[in-house]
Amino acid sequence: MLQVRDLGVAFGPIQPLSGVSFSIERGETLGIVGESGSGKSLTAMSVMGLLPLQGGRITDGSIAFDGMELTTLPENAYRKLRGGRIGLITQNPMTSLDPLKKIGIQVDAVAILHLNMTAKQARSRTVEILGTLRIPEPALICDRYPHQMSGGMKQRIVIAMALAADPDVLIADEPTTALDVTVQAQIIRLLDDLVKERDLALVLITHDMSVVAQTCDKVVVMYAGRAIEHGPVEAIFDAPQHPYTQALIGCIPRGLDGDTKLEGIPGTVPTVQNYPDGCPFHPRCTRAQDICSTTDPAFVVHEQSAAACHFAGAA
Amino acid sequence: MANLLEVRDLSKRFTSPGGPFKKARSMHAVNGVSFDLPKGRVIGVVGESGCGKSTLARLILRLIEPSGGAVLFEGEDLLAKPPAQMRALRADMQMVFQDPYSAIDPRYTVARAVIEPFEVQGRKPEASVDEEVATLLEMVGLNPGLASSFPHQISGGQKQRVGIARALALRPSLLVLDEPTASLDVSVQAQIIGLLETLRDELGLTYLFISHDLSLVKYFCDEILVMYLGRVVEALPDTDAPARHPYTKTLMDSTFEPDPKKRRLIAPLEGEVPSPFDLPPGCAFAERCPHATDICRTDTPALAANGGHAVACHHPI
Repeated sequence: MLQVRDLGVAFGPIQPLSGVSFSIERGETLGIVGESGSGKSLTAMSVMGLLPLQGGRITDGSIAFDGMELTTLPENAYRKLRGGRIGLITQNPMTSLDPLKKIGIQVDAVAILHLNMTAKQARSRTVEILGTLRIPEPALICDRYPHQMSGGMKQRIVIAMALAADPDVLIADEPTTALDVTVQAQIIRLLDDLVKERDLALVLITHDMSVVAQTCDKVVVMYAGRAIEHGPVEAIFDAPQHPYTQALIGCIPRGLDGDTKLEGIPGTVPTVQNYPDGCPFHPRCTRAQDICSTTDPAFVVHEQSAAACHFAGAA
Repeated sequence: MANLLEVRDLSKRFTSPGGPFKKARSMHAVNGVSFDLPKGRVIGVVGESGCGKSTLARLILRLIEPSGGAVLFEGEDLLAKPPAQMRALRADMQMVFQDPYSAIDPRYTVARAVIEPFEVQGRKPEASVDEEVATLLEMVGLNPGLASSFPHQISGGQKQRVGIARALALRPSLLVLDEPTASLDVSVQAQIIGLLETLRDELGLTYLFISHDLSLVKYFCDEILVMYLGRVVEALPDTDAPARHPYTKTLMDSTFEPDPKKRRLIAPLEGEVPSPFDLPPGCAFAERCPHATDICRTDTPALAANGGHAVACHHPI
């Protein structure tokens, strides 16, 4: 459905993203996981064709959606896709909603624009979608303003807007980061159900390995603007090949086996101006050798997953 | 073991005055919270946003004035102290804040930030200022060469280390940690938690650890207080204790495990934390609770202990 190959993005002379590849089919959930500054959101922006807004451009690679090449797609064609067949859910529902417009009008607009519905058709569709998202009294909610709703409810409205045009691909950029844990569980469950019921392809962008473990089929691990490991979720957690993935999994506090002490990863994620040469992780890596600081590692395939490391393998 | 800190029936009520167009409203941010913190222990306070956990932290250090109750620090009632004595006592109880970006004055160098507590207390470090700065920075795993840097020149994790160094400057016995890792990446969070563990062992510190992250609290703490809308609803005597309050159970069920083989179909709790203003009588959780009966909507359950495991529920699991 969506295939990204060797994507590279530049802002002027700075290259914050390079060599990102992944693909996703209908009914699948793909997790893109990484720490802040790893390029997760930039990947989402690239697929949505929103980079020019921020002064960025795609320099390498391709993004194919249902057989269409998106990197060369003209803006007016992109407008039909964006928010239509490709939906986006952002981290902060407060910024995705217009505070001055009623909820109903905002959700209606999507179907009016993308499905050429009349206002009346769109409203009945809105009410139906709000109902499937388990929003109580959907018809009444349509007349509310965003500030009258809780954070979790607002995030459901944003999901409703993304669903209104019947998308094939949904990109959710940290959809639950701003929410409390009990509400996070509700939203994650909801997204999971939607993938199954509507046969959606869901790209879930998150920093939380636990969310990935519970929801995704496939995972791409990103670090410093690169995809450094990808594979099926079981393989990534059971036998991570890249030292960064291994360390990242070791950073998750597990309440039950509290005997293993958390060590963290020494140092910090490099900023985009300071990406090191060679493997971007080598300054923090315990297994780094001379070659790591000079030569970009290629992907080494291990069973179903692949890791970009000179010394890929279980520690 | 002697109790370093005893909190008795601590409450804080915030009121917003009414006006021509609005009613006066009040909320009980913290409502009748009691617990003991023995020397050397780590108690975690966990709850969702708005449950009063940060207010509780500030009340204990008397950064805001409680509406009622008592805080005993080494047996002395803090609320009876005049401001000057209170300030002197605070040297022994320090706080690490959630956001290291706003906890440090952007115009101060790291050295100045770390040494500021001495100035506040009108004291001089035993060694020279430079040596003291270097000792403190090394204590938190920072290169003393960073002393002349400004906050904007260092990373978030380094800033939080400076925040911890500042809190340690006066060699306190109690640290109140208010979500010290909430704004950090996981790899850096793990570093900071590791550092806090080392410091506790080396300096014999006692921690009150505030967090929304149950798996982190379970990892880091000896005992856990679960708060919901200003009240402690359950006090888990150890981290393996099974939840007896339906809210704690929900919180545990909502916490994802980082293991794809342990996937479970979570049946999420419906609804969200209600507005804390003008709460109805009875158990604050009754509206969302699957076990709620009539008594839950009329009588507020008291926190009743059962062999060290206290739960405030009419129908504990």
